[in-house]
Amino acid sequence: MARVLLIEDDTEMATELSEELMGRGYAVERAADGTDGLAKARTRQADVLIVDRMLPGIDGLAVIETLRKERVRTPALVLSALGAVDDRVRGLRAGSDDYLTKPFALLELIARLEALLRRPAENLSTALRVGPLELDLIARSARRGERAIDLLPREFRLLEYMMRRPGQLLTRAMLFEEVWNYKFVPRSNLVDVHIGRLRRKLDGPDEQSMIYNVRGEGFILRAPA
Amino acid sequence: MRLPEFMRTTTFRSVLMIFGAFVLCTLLIFGIVLRQTSAYLTSNIDRLVDNMAKTVIAGELLRTTERLEDQLRSDPRQVKLGGIFDSAGTRIAGNIESLPPGLRMNALAQTALVARIDDTGRRMQTARVIVEQLPGGNTLVVGRDPDEAPEIFKITQRVVVLGLSAALCHGLTAGAWLSIRTQKRIEEVNRRIQRIVAGELRQRMPTLGNNDPFDRLAVLVNGMLDNIEALVRNLASAGDDIAHDLRTPLTRVRILLERARGNAQSFEDLESAVDHAIAGIDHTISIVTALLRIREIEQTRRLVEFSDVKMAELLQEVGDLYEPFADEKRLLFSVKIDSELAARADRDLLFEAIANLVDNAIKFTPEGGRLELRLTRDGENGIIRVSDTGPGIFERERELIMQRFYRADRSRSTKGLGLGLSLVAAIVKLHGFRLNIAPGAGFVAEIAFQPISMKTHIAA
Repeated sequence: MARVLLIEDDTEMATELSEELMGRGYAVERAADGTDGLAKARTRQADVLIVDRMLPGIDGLAVIETLRKERVRTPALVLSALGAVDDRVRGLRAGSDDYLTKPFALLELIARLEALLRRPAENLSTALRVGPLELDLIARSARRGERAIDLLPREFRLLEYMMRRPGQLLTRAMLFEEVWNYKFVPRSNLVDVHIGRLRRKLDGPDEQSMIYNVRGEGFILRAPA
Repeated sequence: MRLPEFMRTTTFRSVLMIFGAFVLCTLLIFGIVLRQTSAYLTSNIDRLVDNMAKTVIAGELLRTTERLEDQLRSDPRQVKLGGIFDSAGTRIAGNIESLPPGLRMNALAQTALVARIDDTGRRMQTARVIVEQLPGGNTLVVGRDPDEAPEIFKITQRVVVLGLSAALCHGLTAGAWLSIRTQKRIEEVNRRIQRIVAGELRQRMPTLGNNDPFDRLAVLVNGMLDNIEALVRNLASAGDDIAHDLRTPLTRVRILLERARGNAQSFEDLESAVDHAIAGIDHTISIVTALLRIREIEQTRRLVEFSDVKMAELLQEVGDLYEPFADEKRLLFSVKIDSELAARADRDLLFEAIANLVDNAIKFTPEGGRLELRLTRDGENGIIRVSDTGPGIFERERELIMQRFYRADRSRSTKGLGLGLSLVAAIVKLHGFRLNIAPGAGFVAEIAFQPISMKTHIAA
């Protein structure tokens, strides 16, 4: 059971979040200000931190900065009402691992939390494999079973990102940020179109689909049952 | 006792200080003039005394006394002095009572205090005198009363005193007048500023039209106020627009939830209503996000993020991102590079701007249409052109579409936020580039930029 330390000063928000998280099987510890949060994070008992950007006492970014200086490397997700591009960059520079702007969808938060908890280990192998799907990172080629799949560079990047995170919910925003590395919010169905293209290439006429749509939220790459 | 208001102003104090300096200068000048004049007069008198001495001495010794008496007689202004004394100091002739003590013999003219005796009596006076030893042991003293010098001094003094008092009166009056006038204007300005601060943005500074520094300042401030007023009015109307645009989707959500609460027959009904409500709220959130984004761009001056951006590469990337999307809508989308160009730009922002234009073009072009993204040159300028076979824009709508929330009639039926082009305009403005939207059939948007030479830059 993953342990989450939630550092958030808004009681209502903290209650909603922790109930949602506990409902999903996380153990949640709460801190209502930066000082308390810092003290609790120092014990290194949490697997992941959710830190509000603006906190009474010590500011959220300062909490993370202090932790990183003390070599506490617990992954941290920053929640912020400040949505400017600069703020995001500042947040990542301070040592946080992800940055989510309020208001956000609960599923977006969960997906990112899961991504932080299941961060792919530095994989040095030159090939990725999910079920029958195989990606050769050197030759930059892909195949499903015996069938070679011809991918455009952007499709290869997208597939690589997904194959490193099999079985994980990847939201549109996550894909857009990580695969395309752009800092603006595109129309929601732009990512869908790219995924649709990729899916048509991955799935042969009689094959089961490997990319699952989570209605309204994102996509999961999974080996067919 | 407190000084009157006008005396405590800076203007009045300045006038007083300037006046003080003026008095000092005047005194100095008069001092110099006086000194020079008296030196000149003294030398004149000395010459006369010298002449008189020579006249008396020249000729027969025995008639020296006679010659002195002659000289003294021909003196209507009673300024000549003279006397012959024997070796014991007893007066032999002349109108000087006794030999003044401490005088140098046979020297140049010197100042001495002598007692003059004549028909009118005896009086002491300061004179320029020459003392000569006569052959035979007698001593000759001749002298002259420098009566003009003190006279001139007195006149000068009178002039200075009169002149300065007149100037003082004048100065004080002028100072007071200036001070009161300035004070009045400042009070007027203060009054108006207070009214502006209180919210009366239409208020302006008073001008006299005489182009003095005060007037010029007032004109400048008024210009500034015009701008501020226009901005505030814009903001206010943008605020109104925001309120309206948020009100509609929020009302929709409210009605949806209200009806679902009363009418839902099943859990599924409720679920679908909630889904719709969430979608509606997401829509309002996206409006707020887009607005904040525009404001962020309009307010940044972060040129530090600028780098040399290869435009061809950037356009290819935008094409790459949107090609499947255009394909989905069965649009013929092509990226054409006429010329490899580079520019100083914030890459991410510029990407966002071009992406927005392309996004728009895809949105508004009917299925089966054509869409082109092109990098080309127009003389000195580099041009990024997005053109489509959509409905286009009418002349009168061009300015409007760049304002927030405006959506041309052609787009009423298509869902969108109406913020896309204002975002593009903000980004283009930040870069100092130019955005041009051509009127007519088919939508054509151009971003004109100043290309830089990549080679020179690398060499540097």
